[in-house]
Amino acid sequence: MTAGAKSEEGPGGVLGWVENRLHLAPFIGALLHVRIPANAKTFYLGGITLFLFGIQVVTGTLLALYYSPTPEAAYESVLSITSDVQFGWLIRSVHHWAANLMLLFLVLHLLRIFVQAAYKYPREITWIVGGGLLLITIGFGFTGYLLPWDQRAYWATVVGTEIAGDVPVIGSSLLLLLRGGAEVSEATLARFFGIHVLVLPLLLGGLVALHLLFVHQQGLANPSRAEARPGRVTAPQPPDKLKPFFPDYILDEVIAWYAVLAGLVILASLFPAGLEPKADPLVTPEHIKPEWYFLAVYQLLKLVPETVGVVAPVALVMIIVLLPLLDRNEEIRPRRRPIALGLALVLLVAMAVLTYFGGRV
Amino acid sequence: MTSLRAIRPFLAPGLLALASLFMTSIATAGAPADDSRSGSWALTVAQATPTPEVPLESAPPLPTPIAHPGDASSTGCVDCHSKVDNRQAAIADEWRASVHAKEGVGCADCHGGDPTSDEITVGMAEAGGFQGVPGRDETVALCGSCHANADRMRPYQVATDQYSKYYSSVHGQRLLIARDERVAICSDCHGAHGVKPASDPTADVYPLNVPALCASCHADAAKMQPYGIPTDQYDVYKLSIHGTQLLEEQDLRAPTCASCHGSHAAKPPRSDEVVAVCGQCHTATQALYEESAHARLEGVGPKCWTCHGTHDVSEPDERLFLHEGGVPDYLCATCHSATDQSLRLEMDRFEQESDRRCDTCHHERSLIYSQVEAIAGAIGGARDAYDTALHRIDDAAALGMIVTDADVAAQEARTELIKARAAVHTTKLTTISALTDAALAKSAAAQDLANAKLAESDFRREAMVIVIALISLNVLVLVWLRRRLHATS
Repeated sequence: MTAGAKSEEGPGGVLGWVENRLHLAPFIGALLHVRIPANAKTFYLGGITLFLFGIQVVTGTLLALYYSPTPEAAYESVLSITSDVQFGWLIRSVHHWAANLMLLFLVLHLLRIFVQAAYKYPREITWIVGGGLLLITIGFGFTGYLLPWDQRAYWATVVGTEIAGDVPVIGSSLLLLLRGGAEVSEATLARFFGIHVLVLPLLLGGLVALHLLFVHQQGLANPSRAEARPGRVTAPQPPDKLKPFFPDYILDEVIAWYAVLAGLVILASLFPAGLEPKADPLVTPEHIKPEWYFLAVYQLLKLVPETVGVVAPVALVMIIVLLPLLDRNEEIRPRRRPIALGLALVLLVAMAVLTYFGGRV
Repeated sequence: MTSLRAIRPFLAPGLLALASLFMTSIATAGAPADDSRSGSWALTVAQATPTPEVPLESAPPLPTPIAHPGDASSTGCVDCHSKVDNRQAAIADEWRASVHAKEGVGCADCHGGDPTSDEITVGMAEAGGFQGVPGRDETVALCGSCHANADRMRPYQVATDQYSKYYSSVHGQRLLIARDERVAICSDCHGAHGVKPASDPTADVYPLNVPALCASCHADAAKMQPYGIPTDQYDVYKLSIHGTQLLEEQDLRAPTCASCHGSHAAKPPRSDEVVAVCGQCHTATQALYEESAHARLEGVGPKCWTCHGTHDVSEPDERLFLHEGGVPDYLCATCHSATDQSLRLEMDRFEQESDRRCDTCHHERSLIYSQVEAIAGAIGGARDAYDTALHRIDDAAALGMIVTDADVAAQEARTELIKARAAVHTTKLTTISALTDAALAKSAAAQDLANAKLAESDFRREAMVIVIALISLNVLVLVWLRRRLHATS
């Protein structure tokens, strides 16, 4: 094969060898070479969340090489990862901080979509799938929290599963399902580990693929103009100003990922993941506090009857997930949606206040 | 025998006179009996008849338990008395909640009469055995008639020596010999109708409640005035290490008043009993003390109270070795009898916590003083090394480092330090030095581990700066690419 022939037929080397056999270029081209509204403001939040999930997969796999999911060995294995394994502290600390940041950026992404009304026609299903991703991410946090098997992990899980046990009707069955018995025990650790490293990653991977597929099919929403609905007569409007997704948007996204990576390195270095004394079912700590994202529910439970404290957050999550089906207002401009934005603001302030007081103990 | 008969009329007054000679430990409520005080205290307790240190009279014979028809399920008494007035109704309620009601002990078991009858003329007829409210002097015998009866108590596995113990106590002896009915009797501590077991947290005799129970009389200046004894023991005890552990930490291992003074046999431990009394809990320390030069002095040597006090026992530390700010004014009488110069430790010389120091007795020019200095130096050095290790561990932990291994080493150092501090009771410098050397070595190991963590933390921060610099470089390249891209498009 001559050099001239190579340039006509496409890339050479390994890429050319693969392309000659699989003919992936049109597929990749269709994925990358799309155009997005020039005024789309994503703040790269969804992409950052995806990037953090990737970090979790890599660091989680490395941690799983050394972790032992039994009450006898779990704590010692985490201690060994943190103290003995070369750069184990870094991998564990990055995993710890990326978990927190992933949830944070997911919520920020959700708020961005909400404010820009990007969950409305035709992107309702994309939002609902995103709601599923939120639930799975919370599930990651809940199951992963137990794995170090230290006092904080054990007792937060005792309290967390008890809260689940207060869900009306299915509470006792749910409690048994989560714990695998009457107490938080070896069975609980085994199933939390299995769910954390197998069930949830597969679910999340599948839903992310679906989420991205929908985004690709529908394109990014234009925050200043609602999508035209089929069968509706609307005044003719000038076409959207567009910009290429690749390489322009991707380049910006990668810069954002680098910024997040720098933040992760700083957090992991200055505030490495700690470890409390080994879990002891016979010694109840004076104060049991969950992770920051459960503090609002934790504080709410102190203020209202148990049933209300459990049902209200579940109902709220259901409302958030099913929001596109409940909010039928077609308006997308924030100033024309005072009720929706006002309710969201009240909810955010209430959660912030509850989180603040929950964390003060 | 004839001569004995002749002196019989003088026997009781004679015994009372003898009792006044023994009046050394009358209700000192914890202070070890101190012979030196007997003179002055004998003057202040003139209003009350003195109580002897050694029981002069043994417990009187036990009466037969009261016989009556029916049993506790016969509610004739309760039916009427609970309707008489609120006070009587409260008594009935108290009884219903008592261990007696639970175990089938009813009104007639203490008051006599016929509980099967609803007729006052039958139920409360003296001819029918009704005895009414027993007098204070009769109550102990009444309780004892059942509680000192081994056959009767066997089903409940309750001790039966309370009766004899009571009459060996300061309380019992005063009741028996001086007919002093102001002293505590069974019902003052256990209640009359609402008797509860000591294991019941609501009982006044539950360990956590015992100090307040004793204080209800012993902290009452009016009640104690006739006996001329202090009333500040409860306030002092509450602030002591024992009091705070029991009352604030709810630690049932901590001693109550009864742990040192006894409950039914309540009496202040004598000076020569103190080591055994404290040793009930501080077993290892007692064994170390028995090896010491102090223990070899036997009765006249310093005891636990000399250095640690009595009701005001505080957490010991290195301050107990030497006076701060120079040696005290030495007085021969601190440790020696004024008459024959024999060794004699006066309790009031050690009343103030600040006087409980080795150099209160050991003169600064003595060989022992230099040994005390060496012991204090060894302990102080080990403590400083341990504290330094702890500070380094705290520094590393504050930086987010996991310091479990250093904590373990520090724990071992602490164990050696505790052993060294306990070994002070042996007064043997070589024994103590061996332990402080071990504590120093363990502290050094802990400090090394903590220093390694601090060095690791420094490395992480330096590495972080390099990584951030590399990331920044990458970002700069990407920003440059972006600008180029925008320029070309």
